[in-house]
Amino acid sequence: MKHFCRLGALCLLLALAITAYADIAKPKEKPSPSPQLPKIVLHTRLVVVPDNKAWEAKLQISQSSLQELRAALGNGNESTAQRITRSSTRTIIAGVFMFLSLSFAGVWLARSMQTRGQKAVAALLFATAVIGAAAIIAQANAGPPGSYYWKKLPQNLTKGAPTSGGLDIEIVADGDIGSSGVQLILPIKPD
Amino acid sequence: MERTANIESAAWREDICSPAVNRQLSLRVFAVTLILCACFSALFASWLPLQFSIVTVFLFAGPHNWFELRYFLTRLPVRFGKSRNFFLTAFAGIGFLTVSYIALPVLYSFNLFPDHLWPTLLASWNSLLLLWIGMLVWLRGKNKRGKDWSLAVPVALSLCALNWLAPEFFSLAIVYAHPLVALWFFDRHLARTRPQWLGVYRRCLCLLPLLLVGMFWQLSRSTALPDDNGLFWRITQHAGAQLLPNVSSHALVTTHVFLEMLHYGVWLVALPLIAPLRKTDDERPLTTRKREAIWRFQSLPVARHPRGFPRLVTTALALGVFFVAILWFGFSVDYTTTRDVYFTVAIAHVLAEAPFLLKVL
Repeated sequence: MKHFCRLGALCLLLALAITAYADIAKPKEKPSPSPQLPKIVLHTRLVVVPDNKAWEAKLQISQSSLQELRAALGNGNESTAQRITRSSTRTIIAGVFMFLSLSFAGVWLARSMQTRGQKAVAALLFATAVIGAAAIIAQANAGPPGSYYWKKLPQNLTKGAPTSGGLDIEIVADGDIGSSGVQLILPIKPD
Repeated sequence: MERTANIESAAWREDICSPAVNRQLSLRVFAVTLILCACFSALFASWLPLQFSIVTVFLFAGPHNWFELRYFLTRLPVRFGKSRNFFLTAFAGIGFLTVSYIALPVLYSFNLFPDHLWPTLLASWNSLLLLWIGMLVWLRGKNKRGKDWSLAVPVALSLCALNWLAPEFFSLAIVYAHPLVALWFFDRHLARTRPQWLGVYRRCLCLLPLLLVGMFWQLSRSTALPDDNGLFWRITQHAGAQLLPNVSSHALVTTHVFLEMLHYGVWLVALPLIAPLRKTDDERPLTTRKREAIWRFQSLPVARHPRGFPRLVTTALALGVFFVAILWFGFSVDYTTTRDVYFTVAIAHVLAEAPFLLKVL
């Protein structure tokens, strides 16, 4: 009976505790800091130059690259191409206008394909379209990956020769790269 | 001996005064003047672009608008006749597009639209402009026998598509293309009044891309212009320094100032000097006619015609003089604000050039 009373008192205490806890205003849920995805704001070229006379590592940025970087940051971290591709409304309207343009041009061509000069204009338009398509195909034939240019870095560093390759400038959240302000990641795969 | 010398001298005088030699001489003078003007404009614009931008806008912005107004009144028919639809569309478009363009900065100042909507608004205005021009070209083509200008519609639509992809760049293209329209006006004017000068003029025009390439080549690597004060910042922004961060602002402002100087030169000097515009009832050849004084408004066809509007023309041009004086006063008191207001309101003269250029084609 004594044990039963103790168990009952404990249960009551627990029940009261839960009730009492429920009376406390629920702490405001802090929005969990969503992991900030790193954003590539600029693509440029990097040259790694070993210098036996230098006493401190130096990061040199050309005036134009700095301006590009400023512009990219000033435009909400988006380049012009990115802004175009991300504005779906404007892209849709542009597409509608292009469709209307091609339709009207087709009607015009069909109505006026009579003289030799007009046929020449039509041929010119067709050739332009073919060249445009060829340019797109050529552009699609991308070069080798970045790691191809950087794989010779260790040998070049040993020889004291410079190495150059593509570089994406990425803005990351504070603390993501430890206490350092700048981090260079090189795509070098071990043999 | 003396007689022989006299005969030779007389023959030489006759030769030098012959119409053919005179024409050749005047052609050479014309070509040299054009080349020198272009080269000096390029030189001054490259040397002190910001300073020349300030000075040229201060001195010539107002007067060149007045000269344009006078030129357009000269080209305006007393009765529209078959061109009625063309002119009604032109004037309605000028009115609506000007008011809507002026409304854009006003709306911006009231913060009525979120920032991400501004490119859409700008693209909409540009599209209206392009469709209006396309319609004007089509209407003009309908009035010309044996001409089919309906290709203007697909061209305008494809330009609309490009505009929607990058509306800010399209607006910048208008800033750079507008001064060149004056050169087209001059070409058409020479074709009417001095056709023998047209070939020389067109050959001289070939110098323009060379000068532009040369300026860009020289200045593309130069340091950016200082834009630490409000006025200099506005000038560099107007030339597109923010939109084209990879291009030196020095090269951009220089190019813009150079083109503006050519634009002012055509409207203020070239067209009035080489413009003895008279009605065709004058039997004398065009080259021998006397030039009309620019302040003689009654000589304009729309004022001189029995069914014309002399009072309206005189009032419009007198008001124009008054606005030029107001503009100079504004520039003297607050140059930066007046410049902003001017470049907003001046869209009216940019728009007005389209129908009047089409009329002379």
